[in-house]
Amino acid sequence: MPETSIAAPFTAYREQVRPEWLDYNGHLGDASYSIVLSAAHELVLEALGLSADYRESHHASMFTVETHIRYLAECGAGQTLSAETFVVEADRKRLRLHSDLSADGVLVATGESLYLHVDTAAGRTTPLPEDRQRLVDAMRGAHAGLPRPPHLGLGVGVRP
Amino acid sequence: MSDPSRPAGGRVTTPYEGRVAVWDDDAAIEAPLRLHRTTAPPEWMDYNDHMSESCYLLAFGDSADAFFRFLGIDEAYRAAGHSLYTSETHLHHRHEVALGEPLEMTVQLLDHDRRRLHLFHEMRHGDTGTLLACAEQLLVHVDMDQGRSTDLPDQLLERLEALAAAHAGLPRPDVVGRPMGIRR
Repeated sequence: MPETSIAAPFTAYREQVRPEWLDYNGHLGDASYSIVLSAAHELVLEALGLSADYRESHHASMFTVETHIRYLAECGAGQTLSAETFVVEADRKRLRLHSDLSADGVLVATGESLYLHVDTAAGRTTPLPEDRQRLVDAMRGAHAGLPRPPHLGLGVGVRP
Repeated sequence: MSDPSRPAGGRVTTPYEGRVAVWDDDAAIEAPLRLHRTTAPPEWMDYNDHMSESCYLLAFGDSADAFFRFLGIDEAYRAAGHSLYTSETHLHHRHEVALGEPLEMTVQLLDHDRRRLHLFHEMRHGDTGTLLACAEQLLVHVDMDQGRSTDLPDQLLERLEALAAAHAGLPRPDVVGRPMGIRR
């Protein structure tokens, strides 16, 4: 895949808020943000050849080991969700993605996922095959110039 | 990704909805709190028959709701215009969860100020005690009409102080406060 064809950031995800995602207040529930984040990141994995077909053909899969969500605003029924995603970092076994999640163009959350590449038959981490590694490296390269939000280096805490 | 929503009511619900908060000033406070047990239900499973990612947050959310009611935040409290909103969650997946596995949740108060709470949640296998997942959660006390954060009432701050004292001796888990990253 030539680098020029890689969107920076990656913006394929678009979906209407579903009624079953809403809580008692009619707002998107905490866990529902993670459904949206997973769905947006799954499209990135698909572009990297690491989604459902890959699991079938290679008996390997990207496992989520960490998810960090910052809730910034409420959103609800009738709104359209979208994501701007970039590769924060990656090595031969690990991939870290960051997304801005928006509702009708207004930022409502940021989310990060850390994935491990796992050989599902052996039940342990294993390096990506070379062709997939090239795709990951190309996307990481295409995203290298994007601005890094300051919260990337912060853990959770009660700060003054 | 499978749809983890619960069928009842066609929206996200928690098992504790409608339960009235009752705080007992004289009761000993567990460290950590054990307020929620459940069994991984069929609607939480993905195509591989493992629990979907977002359902870990549903389970932690249910435990948080039990915690709110333990503290004194129930429907009546919210109807009066205030609530605790999640500001951040940082989840660590440690093991897959299969259909029907018993899940035991704990809650530890790590830190708080007048309007924020930093909680640590664990999900363990109810029989073996194996750690399946853990999560940090930062909560903010919000005036829902004004749409902005506001101090907790004195009564709830006193309860938080009692809780903080009861949890002061608990070890601080090593993932707490740590940003996500690829470490070499």
